[in-house]
Amino acid sequence: MSILLDEGQQAIATECRRVLEARSDKGRLLGLLEQVGACDAVFRDTAVEQGWTALAIAEEHGGLGLGLIELGLVAQAAGGVIAGAPFLTVGYGAARALAEAGAAEVQAAWLPRLASGAATATVAFAEGNAPLPPRPTTTFAGGRLTGVKEGVVAGLAADIAVVWAMNEGEPALVLVELSAAMRNPVDGFDNSRLYADLAFADVPAMLLAQGDAARALALDVLARMAVVTAHEQTGGAEALLTIARDYAVTRKAFGQPIGAFQSVKHRIAELYGLVEIARANCIHAAALADASQGAADFLIAAADARISATEAYDAAARDCVQIHGGIGVTWEQGLHLHMRRARSLAIEQGNLLFWEDLLVDQLTGEAA
Amino acid sequence: MSDYEAFRARARAWLQSVAGEFGREARRGLGVEQDLALGRRYLAARFDAGFAGINWPTEMGGQGLTHIEKVIFDTEEMGFGMPTAYFGISLGMPVPILMRFCEDKAFVRERVLKALRGEEIWCQLFSEPAGGSDLAGLRTRAEVDGNGWKLNGQKVWTSWAQYCDYGVIVARTDPTVPKHKGLTYYWVDMKAPGVEVRPIKLAGGDSHVNEVFFDDVRLEDSQRMSPVGGGFAVAMATLMIERYVATDSGGFGPHLDLFVDLARDVEVNGRPAIEDGRIRSQIARNHAMRAGLESITTRAMLMMQAGMEPGPEGSLNKLVAVRSRQKLSELAIDLQGNAGLAFDPHASQKENWTASWLNAPTGRIAGGADEMLLNTIAERILGLPQDHRPDKGVPFNQIPA
Repeated sequence: MSILLDEGQQAIATECRRVLEARSDKGRLLGLLEQVGACDAVFRDTAVEQGWTALAIAEEHGGLGLGLIELGLVAQAAGGVIAGAPFLTVGYGAARALAEAGAAEVQAAWLPRLASGAATATVAFAEGNAPLPPRPTTTFAGGRLTGVKEGVVAGLAADIAVVWAMNEGEPALVLVELSAAMRNPVDGFDNSRLYADLAFADVPAMLLAQGDAARALALDVLARMAVVTAHEQTGGAEALLTIARDYAVTRKAFGQPIGAFQSVKHRIAELYGLVEIARANCIHAAALADASQGAADFLIAAADARISATEAYDAAARDCVQIHGGIGVTWEQGLHLHMRRARSLAIEQGNLLFWEDLLVDQLTGEAA
Repeated sequence: MSDYEAFRARARAWLQSVAGEFGREARRGLGVEQDLALGRRYLAARFDAGFAGINWPTEMGGQGLTHIEKVIFDTEEMGFGMPTAYFGISLGMPVPILMRFCEDKAFVRERVLKALRGEEIWCQLFSEPAGGSDLAGLRTRAEVDGNGWKLNGQKVWTSWAQYCDYGVIVARTDPTVPKHKGLTYYWVDMKAPGVEVRPIKLAGGDSHVNEVFFDDVRLEDSQRMSPVGGGFAVAMATLMIERYVATDSGGFGPHLDLFVDLARDVEVNGRPAIEDGRIRSQIARNHAMRAGLESITTRAMLMMQAGMEPGPEGSLNKLVAVRSRQKLSELAIDLQGNAGLAFDPHASQKENWTASWLNAPTGRIAGGADEMLLNTIAERILGLPQDHRPDKGVPFNQIPA
């Protein structure tokens, strides 16, 4: 299935783009690259003010009760302006985990605050290079959590995290307040994502789900976050397509616009193809999630979206810089903001290797 | 169930009822002539069942439905492997153009009915040895001859011309004006004196395309379908007649499931190939690409049903799908190792990786080469400049050869 956006959804997309473009500032984003521990406060405030943090949280918990289609549209607009705040995606993932598996009092304690922006949440599933290790080394026992999660997005700022850990020989999802964790900032190539290594030394935590239920929920949450991220990647790739196109029609060499050379125009036309395939997969996956049909179909669609969006954003970053020539590699021109974001988003919510394997597993029922 | 879904169900039921007589299994092992004869019978049956000319007017023997039902039927029909290839171009371009641009309606109606029933086939005589992508550079000439015209020259890559009764043709009527302006559009009787068809054997071994020679072929002025010098516009109309047609995200090659089956059946390094990361990566990338194309098509159909104009992204399908099919076919042959060296020249390119691979280059060239499709995307959708064209505005007879 695939959907056409209704009027309300189109209005969300248009309004997001308008607000974000008015408030985006390349200089501000460049500055954030050289600081550890700061995210784009302007985007954060905008997201709260516009209700984007509340978008996909149920109305009974103070949210707007919309779905992945709407959140995807916001993410796509955010990706287009390289919006430097990481919590939209992981905040959604954590809220989803709480809504599905949290006790009523836990939901009441956190979901309204996540919706209003009073608190932020993240998700810590990965260990090493595995986005969702079959047997995590982080352990939960007797209400306490012990272990290390590396490179957790938004880890420097979040109040709570939903963590993938082992409990009684089975994987589990647990909720932990990060005030009790050690946060070690990661000084990286895309610092406004607020990456941190989180160390838990026998800190209090709460069990959300265990065993097969935890595995299914973790995979669903990861796939949903991957679809949001795929929208963000598609938005970034689309912006680069436009930047490349605009440059190719104005920049002249050998007496003509460089866009008249097939080596350049075909490169840009290829990007158009990658962007449209990614966009189509994103819409399809978001619609499937909201329709809550068969889980296998959604996982396949999420993997399709994730793979094609990663391909599109990486290729667009690579080629847009190439089309710009020397100016494209300068700090000030800022295309490296997209290059960096293309790679950081490619890692967050599972790398290509993970999604390729997951897709083939779903198609064949056979794991490598 | 919507009207469209009801139509789809009705179409599928009929197709299933005749699949045994005309479908993939019935065609296995048939020579071209036998297959063509079966195809003619299939078209007659399709006409009698009320599934011919789905979006054509009822007075022309059509069903008077919309483009949407047409795409629905074609999509369903494609799954059964019916012998329709011989008539695809005929009913896809020349005959609709005849309905639109030919003034003699009684003649048109007779031709349309015979074409719908598979009794007559039309070809499209555009490409020439001097240019395929550069259509307006064609050299076949039509000169005034009394109250009609005299046609001389050569066309090439004309699909199914050896079985055709009629064709539509673009010829140069004035070499002293720039190339696009000196062309005129006609229909031509392929059985007329002076028309000679020579099949061209292609790399895959089949001969569905031809060279067609015209030696003083007489055309009546009533065969002219454009103003004199106005042929290029009708040629463009012919190529643009249906922007959204039934598509195949597999690039008209084997379904991805067949690749997965193969990867399960063979081993690499003592383990099933389906466990090999290189193979898994290709399956995943191809799946993501094909799924995207399918979603684009689904969205286009929904837009048409909602009365909207589908976006231009539908033009990606052939470009992306066929070249991916080419690479995947190479990998499928690799997977078979020495066992992949055998080849049955009659194997279907939708079922056999070697046939798919051998015929893939044709798919990347016919109906718009990859490079032309990229140019079209770049220029029409993205607004990038045209290529450098030194022949622009230059009278045709002064363009350096």
